[in-house]
Amino acid sequence: MIRMNILVLGIGQSLRGDDAAGLEAVRRWQTLHPATAARVRVEVTELPGLGLLDLLKGMDAAVLVDAVRSEQPAGTLLVLGQDDLAAFTPGSGSAHGWGAAETLALGRRLNPSLADLRLTLIGIAGTDFSMGAELRPEVRAALDKAAEAIERKVNTLL
Amino acid sequence: MKTIEVPALARVEGEGGLYIGIQDGKAVEIRLDIYEPPRFFEGFLVDRYLQEVPDITARICGICPVAYQMSSILALESALGIQVDGQGYALRRLLYCGEYIESHALHIYLLQAPDLLGAPSALDLAAVAPDVVKNALRMKKVGNDLLKAIGGRSVHPVNACVGGWYRWPDAAPLQALLPELEWALEAARETARWSLTLPYPELEIDYEFVAIHHPQEYGLMHGEVWSSRGSKLPVQEYETRYIEEHVKHSNALHSHTKEGGHYIVGPLARLNLNHEQLMPEARKALKAARIKLPITNPYKSLIARAIELVHFYEEAIALIKAYRPAGPAHATLELKPGEGCGMSEAPRGLLYHRYKIDGNGRVQFAKITPPTAQNLPRIEEDLAALAPQLVKMEQEQATLTAEHLVRSYDPCISCATHFLKLKIENKD
Repeated sequence: MIRMNILVLGIGQSLRGDDAAGLEAVRRWQTLHPATAARVRVEVTELPGLGLLDLLKGMDAAVLVDAVRSEQPAGTLLVLGQDDLAAFTPGSGSAHGWGAAETLALGRRLNPSLADLRLTLIGIAGTDFSMGAELRPEVRAALDKAAEAIERKVNTLL
Repeated sequence: MKTIEVPALARVEGEGGLYIGIQDGKAVEIRLDIYEPPRFFEGFLVDRYLQEVPDITARICGICPVAYQMSSILALESALGIQVDGQGYALRRLLYCGEYIESHALHIYLLQAPDLLGAPSALDLAAVAPDVVKNALRMKKVGNDLLKAIGGRSVHPVNACVGGWYRWPDAAPLQALLPELEWALEAARETARWSLTLPYPELEIDYEFVAIHHPQEYGLMHGEVWSSRGSKLPVQEYETRYIEEHVKHSNALHSHTKEGGHYIVGPLARLNLNHEQLMPEARKALKAARIKLPITNPYKSLIARAIELVHFYEEAIALIKAYRPAGPAHATLELKPGEGCGMSEAPRGLLYHRYKIDGNGRVQFAKITPPTAQNLPRIEEDLAALAPQLVKMEQEQATLTAEHLVRSYDPCISCATHFLKLKIENKD
């Protein structure tokens, strides 16, 4: 059996309230499922920007875990696949904080083989992205659920 | 009356808008509306222990964390009466090289070049010129790799501290970057040549340039605050001449000189004031460009960035080759109440910090003046100067030309607060 190169990547800013949900969810999953976490590459990053493309280099599959702004109530989990992400229209292309969707779109333009990457985004809906705030209680309460979603996804890839 | 309105400017950091009202060929109203909420970092720092400050201020911006770290560290060291020199200082410059490399490579190729090459975005540029974008990403990556080798992370590095460094980085990972830096130096020389061939819009402004100047090195951290109008001030006297004020339409503060004039900070100011301190290869690139200094066209800040890219790859190579860590990586701090200010040159311009601390090293007061707050009123004046050209253009071209002007400053509204949208209104 060929072993897949799998990346689990928590994304978010630790000082921007609910934005830290992706980081916290990956850390929670590592605590709850250390044996699974030991079998894949795990990274957390605050603002990967275009560096996301370097992180994905050489990977067969990636599970990105990130806070998302959504109409859904805080703490709602959204699991998106490659096709869902491809459908995202790149936003303003903020100079400094290239979002995951924009970066992946750029990556596919430059490197068509990126389309073969099995990509999943586990999004955790947040509402408060202000400075220094803690995670909202609804978001914190969703971390176990997010950790289990990561575990299920990784197990389907292993 | 002709109006130009951009509700959300692309390829700038943060959120804001731009409104221009033109009547009889003159701009009668210009507003850079900054409506993201202020980031309250200054309040957030109060009562924090001083060693927390560099890691918190680094998070003000994902693209220039080193500048925020360094200005805060220099200010706090000044409050404690410490000065880091020797290898510790050289390593700070090397860290700064990493930041300039990743920031300038990004801005030149992915933020401003699309304007000059007629591509609506970097994504479109990648479709028509994939090798250009691939090279740009490779040039940028070595900057991030440098940040990671010194600071442990490619964004928000964590090794720098008040008094020096938490630990000396290993030499081997730094030396391993040399071949890629040599490749990038050549790519930067080519970038500098290419930058001269681009179709910059016509606009010449009689600027007051302001930057840190040091007689022996390209001004980054040590030195005086020089103005092209002749003022030369020690860092401690910065606030006696450069004043920040609230304006109604913006959440960001706007700066002016005590005489009431607006000034420009950033690559044009640095190159025009400090070109004699460039590294040899960068000086050669500038000489080969046959450019008459000072450059006074804001769109041509891309050329200044390209020359600086040559400089910072070259300086990074020299600093890595000379890297010899020895002795303690940081000074032992003797806490005492005090006040200090510090400044450094972020890629987009001069960044000033001032702190008061108590006897336990806790922050009692913090003031941060980011480069974009200093440039915002200057950008508004530039747009007024551009108005006679804008009024003759089709709406779409006028909007793009005005947006391009704003982008050429590489404004970071996240730092000034957050940033931008454009409306030009013809009031005839």
